Amino acid sequence: MIQKKICMVGTFAVGKTSLVRRYVSSLFSEKYLTTVGVKIDKKTLTVDNEEVMLMLWDLAGEDEFCEIRPSYVRGSSGYLLVCDGTRKMSFEDAICLHGKISGILGDIPFVMAINKHDLKDDWALSDSDVQKLKAQGWQVVLTSAKTGEGVEQAFKLLAEQIMKQNNTPQREYS
Amino acid sequence: MPDTLFSLYSTLQTVVLERQDDTRFILLTESTPWFCDLLPKACVARETLVLQGISPFLDNFFFDANEVWSDQNAEPLCSGPWVEVNSEGMEIALQADAINQAGKCLLLIQKLGQSYEHQVNILQAARQNLLTREHLEAEIHKRTEQIRLREEEIAMRLLAASGVRDEETGAHVRRIGMYSAAIADSLGWDQLNIDEIRVAAPMHDIGKIGIPDNILLKPAKLTSEEYSIMQGHAEIGANMLDGSDIPLLIMARDIAYCHHERWDGRGYPRGLAGSDIPESARIVAIADVYDALVHQRIYKPAFPEAHAIELMTNQSGSYFDPDIFSVFIELLPEIRRIREEIRENAYSGTPDDHYPYVL
Ligand SMILES: Nc1nc2c(ncn2[C@@H]2O[C@H](COP(=O)(O)OP(=O)(O)OP(=O)(O)O)[C@@H](O)[C@H]2O)c(=O)[nH]1
Ligand SMILES: [Mg+2]
Repeated sequence: MIQKKICMVGTFAVGKTSLVRRYVSSLFSEKYLTTVGVKIDKKTLTVDNEEVMLMLWDLAGEDEFCEIRPSYVRGSSGYLLVCDGTRKMSFEDAICLHGKISGILGDIPFVMAINKHDLKDDWALSDSDVQKLKAQGWQVVLTSAKTGEGVEQAFKLLAEQIMKQNNTPQREYS
Repeated sequence: MPDTLFSLYSTLQTVVLERQDDTRFILLTESTPWFCDLLPKACVARETLVLQGISPFLDNFFFDANEVWSDQNAEPLCSGPWVEVNSEGMEIALQADAINQAGKCLLLIQKLGQSYEHQVNILQAARQNLLTREHLEAEIHKRTEQIRLREEEIAMRLLAASGVRDEETGAHVRRIGMYSAAIADSLGWDQLNIDEIRVAAPMHDIGKIGIPDNILLKPAKLTSEEYSIMQGHAEIGANMLDGSDIPLLIMARDIAYCHHERWDGRGYPRGLAGSDIPESARIVAIADVYDALVHQRIYKPAFPEAHAIELMTNQSGSYFDPDIFSVFIELLPEIRRIREEIRENAYSGTPDDHYPYVL
């Protein structure tokens, strides 16, 4: 089976771990337990009749305490760029991280997940913030690890992009 | 390996392996349950093991580790922590090191204990703190924004109550506020002052409340006597807004008082020139004239923008502050966007806005 490495990228507490947990185990917890180091989960899905195993690398959120190590993202076929729609700063951080990651990995598929969409009352992003990204050709999905909204869709979109791209520099674990 | 060292590694929850070739390692220390969990089957000391493929994280680490092992002088390399799930579903934190020792290529894998938990706790606390700080800042921002919106609404309602003209409270004055804020932003003003000019600029003509209707609403050209009464609106407005400690009202006063002053000193009411005219008023003068020119008034059709800009460009340095005018020209795409966003219906305009005559 084809295996593809995907990294979860975004600043701390945006819900990277929660999105993986929702996607892989259909679980969610309100409690915040920060990720230190790397945790890898697997999930199989079918894209265009082909089975793909996604290796989901949940990285510690980058902030003033931690920097993303280039060696951790090496070999990725794509990444899910995650921000928290209730924290404008995390949105700007995600855009900045995209710059860093694409500097390391080049132009590889990614999807932006604007998470915590269940918290609409605290929403800090405007439509135009999102439209600007879409206008640049970004795929943006509103997600909620809490309700499950958009979660399958975000990973599926990413997997589809990855499968479409046949000239990506990638390492396969099969 | 001597017995003491053997048990020391055990105590340190560390296994040591010696690299044989690209795929095989010999286990130099005793095996441990957590290490066996990584492998397809249990193992014992001195056993030769294939480690490739047991953990994607380790596979990735071997890329860099191989470089270390191929150079006996290379510095040891640490993988950083990673988390595996053991056979009981428990998460265990591990860390690997690639070391060259006495000509041997060694791989150490350690189960992280208290120090890791300590590190997690510190990071957890630090990030919780940052989150709290972010939430507080967002809350302050939200409240400030609410206050700002209330101020704006009060200002607009007062303008409406003053009965100057319907359209003064409508699209035209809102656009003046938005254009002015955009120009102020480009000039590098701080956010507080940008928000303030957005609300203060719409009050520029508030003094027209004191101008008799027969002059204010006269659809024909004013006599020179009527024109000088009309010019009094700047001073009336300034008096209405005078004497306040509220920065917003201080700025609104400056704008009301000085938005008809000219850069060359030939404006009214005081004939101020250059930087003696408050910057806020110099900005509003440009915003106000532009908006009047590109929209229809009872005394004139809407001018095509190019024509309006041509007229205004001729007045840069005489009517308008030339530096602010350049900024305004660079901002035209944004200004157009604001125009599109805040459209007006019909707008009659008062004789004071007969800018083609004024210019
Ligand atoms: N309401 C709501 N809360 C969420 C959602 N996703 C995550 N959270 C909460 O946000 C907090 C952070 O979630 P994590 O998944 O640990 O975030 P992370 O990005 O992995 O954080 P780091 O590992 O520190 O980088 C937790 O308290 C989660 O319960 C969501 O979609 N909605
Ligand atoms: Mg996490």
